[in-house]
Amino acid sequence: MNALILSAVFGVVMMFSGILLKQKSAVRNLAIAGILLLLVSNVLETYGTAFFKVNVNGMMYFDRLALFFNTIVFVSALLYFLLTAKDMEKVGVNYAEYFALIFFILCGITLTSSFKSLLILFLGIEIISIPLYILTGTDKRNLKSNEASLKYLLLGAFSTGLMLMGIALIYGAKGTFSTEGANLVTDKPSVLLVAGMILLLFSMSFKASAAPFHFWTPDVYDGAPTVFTSFMATIVKAAVFIAFIRLFDEAFGTLRAQWQLWIAVITAATLFIGNITAVFQQSVKRMLAYSSIAQAGFMLLSLYAMNTDAKEGILLYVTAYSFATIGIFAVLARMNDYTFDGFNGLAQKDPLVAGSLTVFLLSLAGIPLTAGFLAKFYMLKATIATPQGLWLAIFAILMAAVSVYYYFRVIQAMYFKEGDDAKAPETTPVFRGTLVILAALVILLGIFPDLLLHWFYF
Amino acid sequence: MFHLLQTGLNSTDAGSYLPVGIQILIAIGLVAFLMFATHMLGPKRKTTDKLQNFSSGIESHGDARQPMAIKYFLTAILFVLFDVEVIFFYPYAVNFRELGWNGFWAVLMFVGFFLCGFTYIIKKGALKWED
Repeated sequence: MNALILSAVFGVVMMFSGILLKQKSAVRNLAIAGILLLLVSNVLETYGTAFFKVNVNGMMYFDRLALFFNTIVFVSALLYFLLTAKDMEKVGVNYAEYFALIFFILCGITLTSSFKSLLILFLGIEIISIPLYILTGTDKRNLKSNEASLKYLLLGAFSTGLMLMGIALIYGAKGTFSTEGANLVTDKPSVLLVAGMILLLFSMSFKASAAPFHFWTPDVYDGAPTVFTSFMATIVKAAVFIAFIRLFDEAFGTLRAQWQLWIAVITAATLFIGNITAVFQQSVKRMLAYSSIAQAGFMLLSLYAMNTDAKEGILLYVTAYSFATIGIFAVLARMNDYTFDGFNGLAQKDPLVAGSLTVFLLSLAGIPLTAGFLAKFYMLKATIATPQGLWLAIFAILMAAVSVYYYFRVIQAMYFKEGDDAKAPETTPVFRGTLVILAALVILLGIFPDLLLHWFYF
Repeated sequence: MFHLLQTGLNSTDAGSYLPVGIQILIAIGLVAFLMFATHMLGPKRKTTDKLQNFSSGIESHGDARQPMAIKYFLTAILFVLFDVEVIFFYPYAVNFRELGWNGFWAVLMFVGFFLCGFTYIIKKGALKWED
């Protein structure tokens, strides 16, 4: 509740900071202070200090999972701000508004992580989506950015319609919006309930960019300004996944026999399409868009398995994935050339940035001693523990092997190819420092995952 | 035909949606049939006058797809926004006594956010008509 209210208020504060503060650095520092405040207040609430006593009528529930997830999101957002806030200046003139929109998205994320009612889920998903449509189109002079924004708006609105229809059908079947009430299932679930659940499954798959609902992802991620692609592909995707898991655990847990095969098929399709298509990309940004689809496939494994390992694993997975991807996008936003050739010879020009980038890419590929490896390990362990999960786990491992190819292409370009005239990205000491800290965190989580998971329980 | 409408209220199988399905089929079929029939049966006498766009009997000029000043759009959309916000006052006014002080603080907060937005658009110059 702390984070929810403060993030909404801070969104408004950031709106006015654009009018009142003349210097861009002041706006940026205010945003960083805001995210720190959110982080601290959320941690305080985790340990019992709630600033606001609001009667939510059982529509929200701030349990450990919600609060811990919020903490992960705010830490990621803090690192994101430190790395890329300066690059947002290049996007357009409304600098403060970008931060305001991001704070509103964070407000939506606190809703999706703590909903107990399908209405709050809908509200959260919408509060996340609408600022994203705007952020996608912020590069107003760029035709691709406009196209991406329009495409995202139309397809997003369509999937929101599916979600509403699903919620309406579930209300029709159960007479309540509460996720607990929806869980009262008899031997034979009604057609209305199952139809509503399938519609919700489709619309959430769309928001999480799972195949075959992924078609918007490459165009939108490619068209949006790189700094905002970074936010969309990491923090927002993590929020959608936590909502996805909460929904199917709490509301449809007893209907598992009905949806498990659907999830398995979607997972396999997502892994296959994401990884195979990423191999053929020429632009690193577009490759990362497909890689985010592929990583979503891995995250879907936790939904398929839905046991303790899966829940711990998804927290580790979103952390590992967000940290690594934020780091890669932060460097990418400062590159002049988004193709693989643009990275040629980066290791000689800037060994520190190239080294950190290598750590992030290794983590995404799932190489041991990085956080990505243990995250994938948890997912596979959880999948194998389910009765028929073995084939899915084997398929996931095969696809992870494919992913090594396109991640290593970047590493190969940086270390083993001669860069001719391309310049190294300009960096500031803060940027380099944060990048190294991020890389260190990725390695640290790869060696001691309990550093993160410990806080889930204590 | 009538027995199709006599399905039980609490039946939950997909079969109880058969009447809805039939209704949809009839609706689509009727539209398709009517369009097809009018197209085939009616006589066609095309003249230049008949093929022109018709709008209140006034001759049309040029194309509607022209760029126009954003301020028209801005004013219109802001009007809709604030108009819709005011609509929330009606249910509050009806339940004014029942909601008590809690309702009052909630509405005050709503108005507060609303005024923030209003100040923001004025400061941003969204309502400035002359450039």
